Amino acid sequence: MTIETKREGGCLSIALEGRLDTTTSPELEESLSNSLDGVTDLVFDFSKLDYLSSAGLRVLLSAQKRMNSQGTMKLLHVNDVVKDVFEITGFADFLTIEP
Amino acid sequence: MTAHAANRRMRFVLAAAVALLVALTSATWIAATRRAARQTEAMLDYAMLDLDATINGAIDTMLMHAGDSIVGELGHPSALPTTQVCTIAMQRDLDEVNVVSRDGSILSSSVSRLVGQSMTDTPKSSEFMVLTNGIRHALAHKFRRGAHNPEVRRKYVGVAFPEGDGFVQIGVDETRVTRMFPSIMGFIFDGWLLGEKGFFLCADMGDGHLISNPARHRDEARFLSETGYDPSDPDVVEDGRTTFRQRLFGEICDCRAIVFCGHRVVAALPPSEYYGVRSLFTLVMAFVLAAVLSLFVALLWRIDSDSARIRAFYAAEAAKQTAEFELGRTIQRAALPVDFPSDKFFRIAASMEAAREVGGDFYDFFPIGEKHRAFLVADVSGKGISGALYMMNAKTLVKDALLSEPSHDPAAALVRVNNELCCNNPAEMFVTAWVGVLDLETGVVAFANAGHNPPLRLRAGAAPEWIRERSGCPLGCFSGVKYVRRELTLGSGDALLLYTDGVTEAMDKSGALFGDARLVDTLVAADTCEPRAIDIAVRVAVSSFADGAPRADDITILALQYLPSRARQVKTFPCDESALGASASFLEETLDSGECPVGAKTRLMVALDEVVSNVVRCSGATEVSVEVGFFDEPRGVSVSVSDDGKPFDPLHVPPPDVSLPPEQRKIGGLGLLLVRRTMDDVSYSRADGRNVLTFRKNFA
Repeated sequence: MTIETKREGGCLSIALEGRLDTTTSPELEESLSNSLDGVTDLVFDFSKLDYLSSAGLRVLLSAQKRMNSQGTMKLLHVNDVVKDVFEITGFADFLTIEP
Repeated sequence: MTAHAANRRMRFVLAAAVALLVALTSATWIAATRRAARQTEAMLDYAMLDLDATINGAIDTMLMHAGDSIVGELGHPSALPTTQVCTIAMQRDLDEVNVVSRDGSILSSSVSRLVGQSMTDTPKSSEFMVLTNGIRHALAHKFRRGAHNPEVRRKYVGVAFPEGDGFVQIGVDETRVTRMFPSIMGFIFDGWLLGEKGFFLCADMGDGHLISNPARHRDEARFLSETGYDPSDPDVVEDGRTTFRQRLFGEICDCRAIVFCGHRVVAALPPSEYYGVRSLFTLVMAFVLAAVLSLFVALLWRIDSDSARIRAFYAAEAAKQTAEFELGRTIQRAALPVDFPSDKFFRIAASMEAAREVGGDFYDFFPIGEKHRAFLVADVSGKGISGALYMMNAKTLVKDALLSEPSHDPAAALVRVNNELCCNNPAEMFVTAWVGVLDLETGVVAFANAGHNPPLRLRAGAAPEWIRERSGCPLGCFSGVKYVRRELTLGSGDALLLYTDGVTEAMDKSGALFGDARLVDTLVAADTCEPRAIDIAVRVAVSSFADGAPRADDITILALQYLPSRARQVKTFPCDESALGASASFLEETLDSGECPVGAKTRLMVALDEVVSNVVRCSGATEVSVEVGFFDEPRGVSVSVSDDGKPFDPLHVPPPDVSLPPEQRKIGGLGLLLVRRTMDDVSYSRADGRNVLTFRKNFA
């Protein structure tokens, strides 16, 4: 998996490519813990993400919790498989998913 | 029924008995009263007739004596001077004497104007002409008013001369008889009884002087008024026909009265004469009725309490039996596997619908090593707790025997089970069983039959086929019996249907059996080899055939479908973090080479990541194997992840609450949730010290 981050003031964009699974999610977790200070708008671009597993969900959950206290978080270009996972696990209820 | 209700019923019976007693006693009293009144009336009727006859008879006799003496004195009819006739009359205390010739003319008379007249002049007097026929001796008329002097009531009596040569007619006035009455009648009344206690009173109309007195009350009264009789009482009717009541000598009596020749004659009957019996009769009747009724009530009481005891006894017995059946059912149900592992090689479905009473069916399936799967259906002859325990015993023995048998030979296993069951079988129970062992790689089913119904092999596009090999005898009958191992082969997608006689011997309301033919028809119509669909089709057919008729026996069905993989790939990894990436790459390569659609592939990849990460994190295993197989019917992929870690069935972990907001969310359980939701089938089994989790994804 490759992680591409772009910071513009309070806005942090993260584009993920490949799989967000048990093996790769620690990378994202690591990356987020170093870069979220001062971020008010967190945007994930999932257009090149193949799929994610529950390990990825764990990272997204902690990010969402953090952003709830300091700004907003949204997901862009979520594919059907990933959307399915959000639906099944109830994450679709609190994540902001934009097409 | 409660004791309270019984008491209430007995109170009702008692009340009814008392009411009946009162009613019958009253009816008896009324009947006895009527009878006494009838008897009283009859006795008084008789008394009045008797009285009339006696009084008239006495007067007539007296007058006939007088007539006889005149006839004797004269000898024959002759004309005599009136004075002489008057003398004759006076001597005999008579008011008139006429001497009549044979032709009816009055030859001589005490009344001079009558001499020369004929007796045939008036109809009344001509009646006396009968005395001239030489046969009739005397004739008496009643008192009646005279033709010449209506004030006077006179009575005539005629007495014939010998050979009908005329007759003497004499007449007396009532007043004269009144004077004579005491002397004629007094002695008659004195001794004259009416019934046993009744009596006559006879008193002068003028001064009320009693000329008679009943023997029982001889000295109590000299005048009628002293007896208590009151002629002025409006009840009193002195016509001889009307009964009235008067208090005589201190006792109310039924009375009749009549006037004769200036005398009042009263016939009196005290009620004790007849009414006395009435009380006694009623009393005796009431006593007898009371005795009969109390006997009846006592008997009813006894029957009632007996039947209540009997009912209570049977209710308790029935409850005990129901409880026993229920317990038996619970044991039976608890022993049946309910998770149907969907292996990559086969699919299985089974069900058991318990009948209310008879029953003891069971089914079982379990892995024997990696390569074999055992499955069986059996029917125990017993029921209740003993049947259920016998079934448990049989089930355990079969499993033990199959697992420990070196070649997993079902026939050898049944021989052992049979000998065990025969060893200690006091209740003479037995089991029929059909036991099969499927070789997963070849589809060969080795089987042995102990008296059980033949199964059916189902193949797409072909008619169902009976597996009617010669069967051994049921288990538990005779020790030392041999069973024959036989084989059949299941092709790819073939199914085998096992069942108990509850299916083929299900009855409709008319008692007709479901039968083999209907079973085949049902399977042909269902046209499926999918085990769950077969199970449902057969159950629905049996249930609609029975149409509400009570189920006589357990209905047990087990269907198994053989699904050999087109290509199988297995790879084993050391159980550490590296297994995650390595197993993912292995699965991806395998799926790509098998042309797996991308939707199914990503979902399989997610599922594998979840399952393997669980194993690596929690199982404590040293190695983990991933096995991938492709299937044709329906098209899909099955993945099995097995590990040698501690036993853990992830399917029994409760799913997480996915409706919570992020702050309350816990990570955990979500992975398995994803697996279960995205896969078409997930199953867990523990075999040979390994956890095996198999998930299957069908290509849409």
